[in-house]
Amino acid sequence: MIRYALIRLGLLLLGLFVASVLIFLTLRVLPGDVAQLIAGVNSNPEQLAAIRERLGLNHPLPAQYLDWIGGVLRGDLGTSLLTGTAVVDELAEKAQVTVPLGILSLVIAVLISVPLGVLSAMRRGRADGTALSVGAQTLAAVPVVWAGMMLVVVFAVWLGWLPAQGFPRAGWADPWAALRSLILPALTIGIVEGAMLLRFVRSATLQAVGQDFVRTAAAKGLTRDAALIRHGLPVVGLSVITVLGLQVAGIIVGAVVIEQLFSLPGIGRMLVADVGARDLPKVQGELLALTGFVLVVGFAVDLVHRIIDPRQREAA
Amino acid sequence: MLRRTVLASASLLAAGALLLTACSGGAEPAPTVTGEPDPDASVAIRLVLEPGNLDIRRTAGAALDQILVDNVYQGLVARTAEQEIVPALASDWTVSPDGLTYTFTLREGVAFHDGQPLTPQDVVWSLTTRKNTPEWRDSARLANVETIEAEGQDITLTLTEPDSSLLWNLTGRAGIVLKEGDTVDYNTAANGTGPFVLERWREGDSITFARNDAYWGEPAQVAEVVFDYIPDNQAALGAALAGEVDVVTGFDANLREQIEANGEFALELGQSTDKGTLAFNQTSGPLADVRVRQAIRQAIDHDAIIEALASGQTQYGPIPELDPGYEDLSDVAPYDLEAARALLEAAGADDLELTLTIPNFYSTTIPQILVSDLNEVGITLEVESVDFSTWLNDVYINQDYDLSFVLHTEARDFENWANPDYYFTYDNPEVQDLYAQSLAATDEEEAADLLQEAARLVAEDHAADWLYNGASVVAVGTNITGMPSINVNERLNLAEIAKSNG
Repeated sequence: MIRYALIRLGLLLLGLFVASVLIFLTLRVLPGDVAQLIAGVNSNPEQLAAIRERLGLNHPLPAQYLDWIGGVLRGDLGTSLLTGTAVVDELAEKAQVTVPLGILSLVIAVLISVPLGVLSAMRRGRADGTALSVGAQTLAAVPVVWAGMMLVVVFAVWLGWLPAQGFPRAGWADPWAALRSLILPALTIGIVEGAMLLRFVRSATLQAVGQDFVRTAAAKGLTRDAALIRHGLPVVGLSVITVLGLQVAGIIVGAVVIEQLFSLPGIGRMLVADVGARDLPKVQGELLALTGFVLVVGFAVDLVHRIIDPRQREAA
Repeated sequence: MLRRTVLASASLLAAGALLLTACSGGAEPAPTVTGEPDPDASVAIRLVLEPGNLDIRRTAGAALDQILVDNVYQGLVARTAEQEIVPALASDWTVSPDGLTYTFTLREGVAFHDGQPLTPQDVVWSLTTRKNTPEWRDSARLANVETIEAEGQDITLTLTEPDSSLLWNLTGRAGIVLKEGDTVDYNTAANGTGPFVLERWREGDSITFARNDAYWGEPAQVAEVVFDYIPDNQAALGAALAGEVDVVTGFDANLREQIEANGEFALELGQSTDKGTLAFNQTSGPLADVRVRQAIRQAIDHDAIIEALASGQTQYGPIPELDPGYEDLSDVAPYDLEAARALLEAAGADDLELTLTIPNFYSTTIPQILVSDLNEVGITLEVESVDFSTWLNDVYINQDYDLSFVLHTEARDFENWANPDYYFTYDNPEVQDLYAQSLAATDEEEAADLLQEAARLVAEDHAADWLYNGASVVAVGTNITGMPSINVNERLNLAEIAKSNG
């Protein structure tokens, strides 16, 4: 187990290193630069040169990379070229929106998908089971943005129950107001992700029904449903955890879109703005932090999976 | 991947917008102000473009001028929404008959937001540093100024040659007065003399101003102004209908019915100096031929563009109606498909294929109209939608483009037509000479006449096409008064905005 964890940790670090190089290089392929954006139209080459000099943009690429990665290793994700604020501080501030949004979305997705997925598997062949399954297929195909628009129309514009956009300026000082502003965005991501997850839960449950140990339990006198719930669902739960790990990446991508739509000052919206502004040190820091987060979640899921699934331990 | 997601979501948003249009009802608006102005009110104003940082000295972009000039920073002189030059930190000024000496009387009792009194030395230092620091924006606008001196409360600017644009330039960035040797972090903070103090900037969200209670002039009518940066028009509409913002600027006039539906907002269309400019790269290739450029202009149905935008007016030359030197130039390139086809044939340019490079934050309305209009006369237009940074790189710096569309918002920016190195690639010595003469004129009217003459030449050379002169489309809450409606994309003076509690 410890050997497995160490190997897995090594892979994690390798992944982070490769990601850092890729992030650094791909951003350099983008045309345009921050100096030009600062100088704007009606600027002259001397102004540009002065800005480049001031921001250190005239150093060679390998030096810039080493400079950046050296900082990262010391826990410094860099500073914004535009405002001079530390990326870590900005991330921490924006995380107050994005992390709760992600958790809320995930909870909604699980609340929707697990009961409905199991139900739809248990009712396979019956009308309600089919309806659930078709409904999920349809919802999963709905674009996140469209779902969001519809929720805004119904709950913010027509009913006036929830805010249409934005996040309280006081942040979490008023937790209820903050939470209210996250409900529609989280529902938007949660419903679409939940519909995708539902299909997965359904097929995992169906698979469990066919497993020997469920059939054995049924043969020992349990009803088929009882056998499934008592012996099959823990296995389904395990695979759901794995898929949830993968969903984290999906939720981050969803957050990028949803934060734009709902004007939420979160990491996703910051990232889009920073790419547009070619604030590369900031984008690098943000992307590396996000990649690191997804990789660490994957690492944790793998370990948890290994610890609680006896079959994998034996295989090792 | 990221960009594709965002682009895809933008087009989906457009689809969603159509649906929203279908769902809304239409009631009659009843814009009446009832109740007393509330001095403790907080006004939320939706703006579109957030600045990258707040450094007014170095960073370009109308997003900074829009909120910071007049409200936070001030110069010796200012301009009204009607583009008139009025006193600000100077109570008064005189210009010598030869146009070489400007004398300003500095107000007494003015203090910076940090409490320090404004001294004549601060003014001298600000203007001198601006002039001598090329990295500061608009430093070249003070090029004709030789000396800046203070004696008592009098500030004297001595010029090497007359400059009819100087006073105007002093109303903008070039004239901003800062505290000498200030240590404020200009990137994220500010220290000016205006009626509002910058209180907080939440990046990616909002900027908050608080009333400057120690202001030298009439204090602001509201305790707080919050600028909410909401790029998307549908989100802004949602915010307005849900009562989250009081004023929506940069709105889409096509959404008038929806925002006026419940009677809490009224749409105002003000004039602006926004020029929807279709630039032609005329250095080489088919667009170097004036007949091709004229054909393109005559193939475009400008009235249809105004109709599609539901705001603005046509403009057939480089100077908009708000600026000096304006003249109706619609006779130069009237909409005429036959004439366009004949011109293209004469130029041997049938089956022309051109690319239009356009920053991706503009709506697809303009490119769609251009593609279909030009298709009518046999020109195939390929639209390349790029982010602004790419546009700056490819079009602005490298001048690697055929056609480009950008909304130029600056007032009085004719100088770009007299600059052969500008991305417009227009080089006409006669125009450059007329512009220089206009600058050197000591009489305002004479200066405007010379500009008008130059502008006609630019239009007759078909140096570009001016698709429209935009309007400032502002939806104002019916409990708000004193909200400017002219040219708000460039300057948004909020000294008089008030909110009633009724």
